[in-house]
Amino acid sequence: MLLAGGQGSRLYVLTSNVAKPAVPFGGKYRIIDFPLSNCTNAGIDTVGVLTQYKPLELNSYIGSGQPWDLDRSSGGVHILPPYMVEGDKGSWYKGTANAIYQNIGFVDMYDPDYVVILSGDHIYKMNYRKMVQAHKAAGAACTISVLEVPWDEASRFGIMNVDGEDNIVEFQEKPKEPKSNLASMGIYVFSWKKLRQYLIDDENNPNSSNDFGKNIIPAMLDAGEKMIAYRFEGYWKDVGTLESLWDANMDMLSRGDLDLLDSDWPIYARIPNQPPAFMGKNAKVEHTVATQGCEIYGEAFNSVLSDSVVIEEGAQVRYSVLMPGVHVKKGAKVEYAIVGEGVQIGEEAKVGGDPMEVDPDKWGIAVLGPGAVIASGETVAPKTMLNRKHEEVSR
Amino acid sequence: MKGLHGLIFAYGKHLGLRELTERRSPASVPFGGRYRLIDFMLSNMVNAGVDDVGVVLQGNYQSLLDHVGSGKDWDLSRKHGGLRLLPPFAMTQHRDDSAFRGRMEALAGVESYLEKIRQDHVVLADSDTIINIPLQEVYQAHLKSGADITAVCSRNLEDCPEDATYFHVDGAGCITSTVVDVREPEGVRGLDIYILSKELLLNLVKECKRTGHYSFRTAVLQGMSDKLKLNAYLWDGYAAQIHTLAEYYSRSMELLDSDIRANIFPKERPIFTKELNVSSTYLDPDGACVNSLVADGCTIEGTVENSILFRGVSVAKGAVVKNCILMQNVSVGENAELDAVIADKNVKITDGCTLVASSKYPMALAKNAEI
Repeated sequence: MLLAGGQGSRLYVLTSNVAKPAVPFGGKYRIIDFPLSNCTNAGIDTVGVLTQYKPLELNSYIGSGQPWDLDRSSGGVHILPPYMVEGDKGSWYKGTANAIYQNIGFVDMYDPDYVVILSGDHIYKMNYRKMVQAHKAAGAACTISVLEVPWDEASRFGIMNVDGEDNIVEFQEKPKEPKSNLASMGIYVFSWKKLRQYLIDDENNPNSSNDFGKNIIPAMLDAGEKMIAYRFEGYWKDVGTLESLWDANMDMLSRGDLDLLDSDWPIYARIPNQPPAFMGKNAKVEHTVATQGCEIYGEAFNSVLSDSVVIEEGAQVRYSVLMPGVHVKKGAKVEYAIVGEGVQIGEEAKVGGDPMEVDPDKWGIAVLGPGAVIASGETVAPKTMLNRKHEEVSR
Repeated sequence: MKGLHGLIFAYGKHLGLRELTERRSPASVPFGGRYRLIDFMLSNMVNAGVDDVGVVLQGNYQSLLDHVGSGKDWDLSRKHGGLRLLPPFAMTQHRDDSAFRGRMEALAGVESYLEKIRQDHVVLADSDTIINIPLQEVYQAHLKSGADITAVCSRNLEDCPEDATYFHVDGAGCITSTVVDVREPEGVRGLDIYILSKELLLNLVKECKRTGHYSFRTAVLQGMSDKLKLNAYLWDGYAAQIHTLAEYYSRSMELLDSDIRANIFPKERPIFTKELNVSSTYLDPDGACVNSLVADGCTIEGTVENSILFRGVSVAKGAVVKNCILMQNVSVGENAELDAVIADKNVKITDGCTLVASSKYPMALAKNAEI
């Protein structure tokens, strides 16, 4: 069950019209491709995607599920929006746990032994099958995937305190003084019968905020259920903020822990139909990924160029993430920026700036919302964010 | 029912394509960085709203079957109609060992299929024509003209294949004569795309079968010119027929011209192909890539100039690739040097290897070769 209904408000203008999981990533992907591909690679062939916030683009992107091999005659991928029930009782998803609660009927249709709960805002490659195996082997009611984070960052995460056998003994949400550095990745395996009961009990508790982290996990701990931590090693990034989204794109470029060319664990995507990228006679492209449909006549350094990006002659793009269809006109310069789908950047315009050349207080990633139009010669300062209508949005 | 049915001839065996057709039919020869030749005609039909397409197969068609599959990538995997592959075993009349001698013979082999066509008109085309043409407009022009057969023609007489068909056309667009087997081009060049009614097609097939004729050009266009009203549809856009390796190379290299690319890849009529799941292409700081078409999934650490790279090609550090066509998953080792080389799928060029040919006579390396 993939929780894809969040607004992603910390991505600001990038999610003003789409749900966070539908935000483009790494040239050819959208964030949701990672959990969906992980599912299909792990052999999970029945996936519910819970949508709520601006689902249109996400729905059409997922479609039949065919790019992820999830167009099955039994199982496959299912979009699960909130719905009405008799007596006008339906409601929006109130929290992560409530979203699953409202879809108990869906899960029951397939009657699984175990349910994996995923979220649609993480970039990582993970074999959920191994996690389910660990869950089964331990005879646990709940298994939570954890990542060792640097101690000084531990207070930003939900921290799992474990005993010598990785049994979870305590859960602390963003503790001031963390007792462990095992951060929850928001990936859970539950034995369905157990979870089903806890969801029903939680729903009957009027004081609950119906959230896995805040309510379900603490309730199960209090009841003494067997809960284990599953240690994950590898690349994992929550791309819920503009900075982390930019970071993850740059991580992908360096192809260290996050190698998307690796064919052993492919990440699948719905691929727009475009001719191959064209590199012009004076194109200079370094440490950059380019995608089909690109036309590059200018320069690009350390950047991610999604499909159909055009960089005209004399234009320069550095340390930036350009989403599909961005057009950078002659002589324009784009640095340290996230540029949303279809943005037009006029001739000789300047977007963002190099941190070495800007006062550190004033520096930040410049962000242009999808569809924004930057006039010729215009300057968009570092850290500035503009929406579709070219209005400045503060963070 | 009203409408157009597509029939693509994918049986030809162009020996002129040499290594490229050693293990495949011309229809599935890779072209343009991520396509196969047949993608263009299939997409033309799909973009014109053609729901049903039959592909007449013969020869080494395994690779073509792999490529088109169920037809899903062209939206031709349908409950009713869609893509229908017509291999030779469907034939009742054909001498089973040799290639079709002509279109009429190929059509006679699939007569029972032709009888079941739902649409009242049929467009016949070859699988190795590179063109992006609005066939719906050709169809409308055909209906309007009242012609029995409409042939798509190009006024451009440069780079005609040796076995091209030529037509003489009067001021009203009527074809007055058909010319084949000539050395020098004359009139307008036929692109071997024809529209005619299903009824006429069936009659022609029966007639040719009865009289033992097999060629559409000589038996129908020439032989029945007094009985049939033949019309030309003049197409001024890009069109290329690829029958030889030299044609393959020069037509491929033309794609580096942005006007030609704009003509065959217009936004409103996309060319569809079989999808392959690969990541974006990575360009390393040590590498350089200019005046080249590069598909996804490539890793470029060396120098690439005036070349076409298909999906998943890797060019290692210090390697220099010029004027080349490198097909899917070709790997070029460190410090290798290639000029005017066409490397088929999975070719491996080892470190330090130097292969220099000329653009006039490019070197073709067969699939899976290790050099």
